Order: sequence, then structure tokens, then C-alpha cells
Amino acid sequence: MTVASFMKSATLAAALLASTAVLASAKDVTIKVWAGGTGPTNDYRIEAIKMAADILEREAVIRGEELNVTVEGQTWTTWDDFKQAVTLAAESNTAPNIIVSGHEDIGTWSQSGLLRPVEDYVDFDAWPLNQLYPNLIDVASFDGRVWGIPQDAESRPFFFSRSHMKAIGYTDADIEALPGKVESGEYTLYSMLDDAKKMQDAGVVEPGKGFMPRPSNGTDYWQFYQSFGGEMTDRESGKLVLDRQALTDMYQFFVDAVEKGVVPATYLGTTWDSWHDAVAHDKAGIWHGGTWHKAEWETKWGLKDFFGQMQYSLIPAGNEKGRANTITHPLVYLLSTTGTDDDATIAAELITIASEPRINALHAVKSGHLAIGTAEAEIPLYANDRWTTVATEALLPHATSLPNDPDFGVVWKAMYKGLEASWTKTSPVADAVSGVESEIKATLGDKVVIR
Amino acid sequence: MRTRSYMVGLAFMSPALVVLIGFFFLPVVLTAVFAFTNMSTSTGISGGSYVVTGNLLTALKENGVPVEIADALSKASFVVDPEGIAKARDAGTDPAFLAEIEQQLGGRTFTDERLFERELKTLQHRPRSIRDLKLAVDQFELSILNSRFTSESAARQAIATFLPSAPADTVDQIVEASYTGWTWTTANFKQLFSTSDTWRIVLNTVFYVAVTLSFTVFVGLFLAVTTFYLPAGAASAFSMLWLLPRITPIVLYAVMWKWFTWEGGFLYTAADALGLPAFNYMKGSVPTAWTIVIMVNGFIGAAFAMILFSSALKAIPVQQLWASEVDGASRWQQIRYIILPHLRWPILFVTSYQTLSLLSSYQEIWLTTNGGPGRTTTVWALESFNTALNSYTGNLQYGLGAAMALILVIVGVSLSIIYLRLFRFDELLGRPKIEF
Repeated sequence: MTVASFMKSATLAAALLASTAVLASAKDVTIKVWAGGTGPTNDYRIEAIKMAADILEREAVIRGEELNVTVEGQTWTTWDDFKQAVTLAAESNTAPNIIVSGHEDIGTWSQSGLLRPVEDYVDFDAWPLNQLYPNLIDVASFDGRVWGIPQDAESRPFFFSRSHMKAIGYTDADIEALPGKVESGEYTLYSMLDDAKKMQDAGVVEPGKGFMPRPSNGTDYWQFYQSFGGEMTDRESGKLVLDRQALTDMYQFFVDAVEKGVVPATYLGTTWDSWHDAVAHDKAGIWHGGTWHKAEWETKWGLKDFFGQMQYSLIPAGNEKGRANTITHPLVYLLSTTGTDDDATIAAELITIASEPRINALHAVKSGHLAIGTAEAEIPLYANDRWTTVATEALLPHATSLPNDPDFGVVWKAMYKGLEASWTKTSPVADAVSGVESEIKATLGDKVVIR
Repeated sequence: MRTRSYMVGLAFMSPALVVLIGFFFLPVVLTAVFAFTNMSTSTGISGGSYVVTGNLLTALKENGVPVEIADALSKASFVVDPEGIAKARDAGTDPAFLAEIEQQLGGRTFTDERLFERELKTLQHRPRSIRDLKLAVDQFELSILNSRFTSESAARQAIATFLPSAPADTVDQIVEASYTGWTWTTANFKQLFSTSDTWRIVLNTVFYVAVTLSFTVFVGLFLAVTTFYLPAGAASAFSMLWLLPRITPIVLYAVMWKWFTWEGGFLYTAADALGLPAFNYMKGSVPTAWTIVIMVNGFIGAAFAMILFSSALKAIPVQQLWASEVDGASRWQQIRYIILPHLRWPILFVTSYQTLSLLSSYQEIWLTTNGGPGRTTTVWALESFNTALNSYTGNLQYGLGAAMALILVIVGVSLSIIYLRLFRFDELLGRPKIEF
């Protein structure tokens, strides 16, 4: 072997060694993300994490490291299947690293040890988390610790068909003034029932389509409880509250709606497609939904002129004890206890980057959700979108949220069971309320204050 | 020889025994265990830990724990002392960073974690990763608040170390209350027997089982007898058609019923064209919802009954039918006096088997009406499934759901014994009284 050929071989060997050294320092991480209640218009809940992974990898290269993050996303359109999957996966130590769920799951999942407190992994003093709305961080907190990073926010408005309102005598000016009358308490839920009846009597909507509430269980029904003065938590003790009178008035309202003929007794369980078809195609009189529904109506149901076809407002007060209101139900990015601490650290970095205003604005505008921070509200894509701006300014200031108490699920389940029983007239209202009370007492004892 | 033949028999039986133990006895035993616990999503299944949290301390104050003890436990402090520095060094914190902490912040105490973090962020050797900084902060913490202890003794020791003056009974009370896992209880059964909802679901279940069973037996019998009198080719074709509900995958079968009964479906379109009330028959009214639930399940059962009855019909000595025809018997008389007496055992078998099967079935209802409208078509098995494993609000109550399932097992086993006695199945299985 000549010196030259020896040098050539040595150089090649050194190059090979060096390349293996680089490869050896490369770090490959797979991060699983599962999101509930997520359809095609909400795909940025996962896509944002993938974008964040790309940025994190680029940052690593600049630091002289090689990081390969593979994001495996999975979505569920419904909540029950998703929550079952997360809970059972956690029991078998196969839960995803990042969970995108409703904030009300924090109480239950943190107690069972399914979650890591996100505050141990991220810096709320640094960008972009330092510009998040403080009330949304409060919603993502439980028992003195921050468990999640808000992923989005919304409100759940009432909607009126402009053409049908005009058909029963409302002028354009009256319709424009309606949100103000709702907010002041002048226009109540019972005023709404009267208008729905008039629409049916005038023949502009079919019987049973004057009022089309949410067809299945959901956060929305707590809004009606608040409309009749109900509170979910006791301000002093922080305990859960069940207000018998508010619950009675709320159940009675739906029974009255059935008796007026503006909603069928067998309405609950109607398919979502029937509901979307009716409200997006102007076959319904008055209904309630979420800010995100606008995106679905436009992309899937062919709604062309949202503002020309519909008026929106808060959920009206039910009586003098209640108030006009709406509930925001932010989804949050949560860190599971699955995987190593290093995995959780990377997952937390991904969540942090995904909360960048520009990235989150993609989700907010595409899906009809609201901004999670002050800087996002100034991103042109968001700021120039009429619906998100209106919803942020007119509805969000009135929004409350569900409690994060681990026992709230039991109260919620009992409340909806009672609503189904009274709505279908399987039980008189008083019996339905007593049934809710006895179920809550039997399960939770004095953990719930019953007024 | 006898022992050997027993062993061979047992060897042949062993796969069935394994299946029986794995898929019946074990789940029943586990259900019975779960039924006497308060297991839920909050408590987890695999066991809990001991965590003292702010909310827990507030609740404990209301339940007699001295305020000064609860307040002391609720405080967190971060002390930069040699002990903390040594702890951080052992935990692998960067020595340069530690030296800077000691130099700049030595002897200081922080009551707010965030403030301490902010101080550390001003240091030159601070770690690049916020996680590493927070791990360093943890080493200086003097508090047990929010710490998860895997065992009772560890929790007890931590409280005693942190608060040596706390009385033993108070420590016991705190440790007991701080447990996040499940505990043994009979409250599930008390709750089930005390709510009116239970009895409504029981009534639904009895109605569903009784009507669907009657439908199954009568339709199965009708199909078997009518195909019996058809020419062989036509009979086979009809039998195959009526077997479809049984052999179609359940999800597809449910989807087909939806196409048939929902808005825009076959029934809806036909009713609309005829000027009859057209609506979603599966979900739009209680009588139509029940009718569909019963038919969906009834046709599956009827297909099963038809096979059994048809094979039993083939076993009837054909000479008896010929003789009856010679005597001038009508078709109805043949059915009444020859066929039905011969079908006694298959009818009894179908009745008992289908009762048990219907009691525990929920999937067809879940996939069609989902127990609605409202909860009017909810039966016991569906409610048990929803309670334990399927909840919109996310709080799966494994213990309560298992208690419901256990009651179903007890009812099923009791009914089996009653059927065995009532219908004298021992005679069916006994040795024949005549020699062949």
C-alpha cells in the first residue's frame, strides 16, 4: 500500500467514523397526539403540532443537534369514544404523549395520575405563552396548578333566521337591536318560544322546527341552567352546586317548548345531519350552536351568506333570576404521564410552539374558534375575519366556563338524564329533579351543595 | 382404565374449559370484584397514590383538621442552603450553575416558585432548557404539597418529617384522605336500589325481552313451517334470505336499518309519497323506536330460531304426515297436532337461549336508537355499558357499571336454573328410554 492510498483509506475511514458519530448523536422521538371532538375543519389541532415539530427540528440543527420528531396524530369526531380510548389507553400505559381534550377533564385525569402538570415543563414568562389570555390559563388550571395550554376558545350563541323573523313582523332595525335586548334581559327564552310559535303559525317553518336546540348532550345545556339563575360552583367554598329551582325552571322551559309544539318531545337524539341541514338551509326558526359551526355550515352545508341569513346573540335569560350568558369550552393541550421525562419535555416544547399566534390563528379562523392570546387577535388573518372578531368582542366577555372539579362529570350526567326524562315526559319535572338530586347525593354525598 | 378414559375426556374438554375460564368465569369474577369498589376514571383501576393538594387541605379543615396544620402543609418554600445545593448536585444539576446559585442567592428563601425561577433565569449559567431549570428548582423545595407518594408509609413519613409536631391521628386522617385510588364499598348496590331510574330501566328491559322473544319465536316458527311446505329449491332460497340478518355484520345491518328508517330513507320516502307522517322512525317517536329495536333484534333471533326449527322439522317421521293426509287432516291440523308437539324441545331451547341472549345484548340498540329518544329504549345492559365504558362527560364509573353487570349475571344464572327446572332439560339430555 502506497502512502497516498493509505492516506485515502484513512481519510475515508475517518469520514465514515465521523458520519456514524453524527448519526449516533441524532435523537429520534415519536410523539403521539390524540384529539377529541375533531373533524376536518379542526385539523390544525394536530397539524399545528406537526408544524411545531418542523420548527423544533430546525432549531435543533441551529444548535448543532440532530433531532427527528415524528408526530403521530389521531382524531375522534365524538367525545365519548375519545374519552374511553384515552382512559383505557392510560390504564395500559399506552396513552398518547399529548391529549387534546376539553378543560373539564383536567380534574378527573389529574387526580388519577394520567397527567403531568404542564407548568413543570413550560415557561409562562416567555413567548408565546406570556401573551395567552389569563382567564384561559385559569380555565386550564386545577387545584392551584396549571395542567394544560389552551388550544382554542369559543362561545355558544343563539341564532335567529333573519327571513323568518321578518316574516313574523320584525324589521331589520328590530333584528339588529335583538342582541342588545337579549343582553339586557328584555328578550327572554319565553319571548323566543313565542316567536318560534309565531313562525310555525305563519307557516314559514315546519311544525317542530321553530326552535332547534342542540340535539345531543353538551356543554350548551348548562347555559340554560344559568339562564334560570343556576350556578355550578359555590364562590366561597369552591364546592359544586346544584340549584334545584334553576334546574326545575330549566326542565320546565323545555317541557313548555314541547307543549307549545315548537320542538318535539322526542327531539333529543335527532341526528346532527338533520340539525345542520335545517339550520344551514334556513328551515329552522331559532336555534343555538357554537361559533365553530359557521365554518361547518359554509364548508359542508353550502351556507353562502352567514351574516345575511342569521342573527346571533347571547343565550337569553330565562327569568328574572337568571341572565343572558354563553359558555366557553376551551380545548387544552395536556401532557400525559406516558413516556419518559425527555419525551414529555419535547411534547411540551411542541405545544409551546403550536401556541404561536400565527399558527394558532390558522386553527381559529379555519374552524371558527376564538384567539387564545392578545397577539393572536392582532394577526391579520384573525383580525380581518369578521366572525372571529365579532365573537371575541361581543360574546366572549360574557362567557363563563365549566368547573374542572373531578366530580363534575357525575353531576353533568345526572343533569342530562333528568333533562331527557322530563323532555320526553317520561317523568314529571319535579320527579326528574328529585331523581337528579338523589343520584348526586348517593354518589357524591356532601361534596355537592344542593340548594 | 377408567381413570385413563376420564383423562382422555378431560384432555378433549380442556380447550373448552380454558375458553370457559378465560371468557366467562374470569370476567364474572373480575366483575364481582369491581362491583364492590368505587372505581372510576378519577380513581383509576391499577391503584392510586397519596397526594396532598390545596383543595384537599381546604376540605380537611372543614372536617376537623386543625387550621394551623392544614395551613402549614399548604405552604411551599424554596430555600437556597447547603442542603439544597447538595441535593441539586446529586440530581445532576450543572456545577457551574449551582456555584452561581450559591454565590448569588445563597441563604435566601422564596415562597413563590415563579419568583425563584425568575431569579434563576437571570444567572449566566442557567440551563438552556426550561425543564432543566425547573428540575433544579425542585431540589430546593421544602414542601409536600402536590407531591405524589406511591405508598401510604412514604406519605406518612413525609408528613411526619415536614411537620413533626402533628398528632398521629391527624396525620392518619390526612393520609387517608389523600389517597387517590379506589376503595371497597357497597354503595353501588345501595344507589341502584334507591333510584327510580333503576326501576324504569328494569321495566324497559322486561318489555324489550318479552316482546322481542315472542317476535323471535313466532316469526321463526312461521318461517320454518312455511318453508317446510315449499318445494326444496324454493325453501332453500327463502331460508337463505331470512338468514341474512343473522350473518350480516352487525354494524352493516344497523346501517341498513338506518337507510330504511331515517329521513330520506325508504320508509320515509314511501310514507311521504303516500301522504302519511314521514319522519325519522328510528328516533322520532317512542312507539316507532321500540318497534324498530324489537324488529332489528327480532329478525336476528328469528333467523336463528328458523334454522333450529327447520332441522327439527326434518327429523319428524314423514310417515306421520302421510298418515294424517290419508286421514284427511288439513295443513293447520298437521301443524297443531303433529309439528308443534315435535317442536316442543326446540321451542323451549330457543326461548331460554334467546331470553339470556336478549338480556345481555345491547349492541343493536346502541347502534340504532342508542337508547333514545330521550332514554326511552335504554335497557339494563346498555345502561351498564354506558355507565362503565361510554360517557360523554368522560367519567367512566367502572364500579357502578360492574355492579349493574353483576346483577345481570345473577339474573341470567337464576333464569337458567329456572328454565332447566321448568322445562325439564334433564329429560332432554337423559338417556333414551327405548333401545336403538
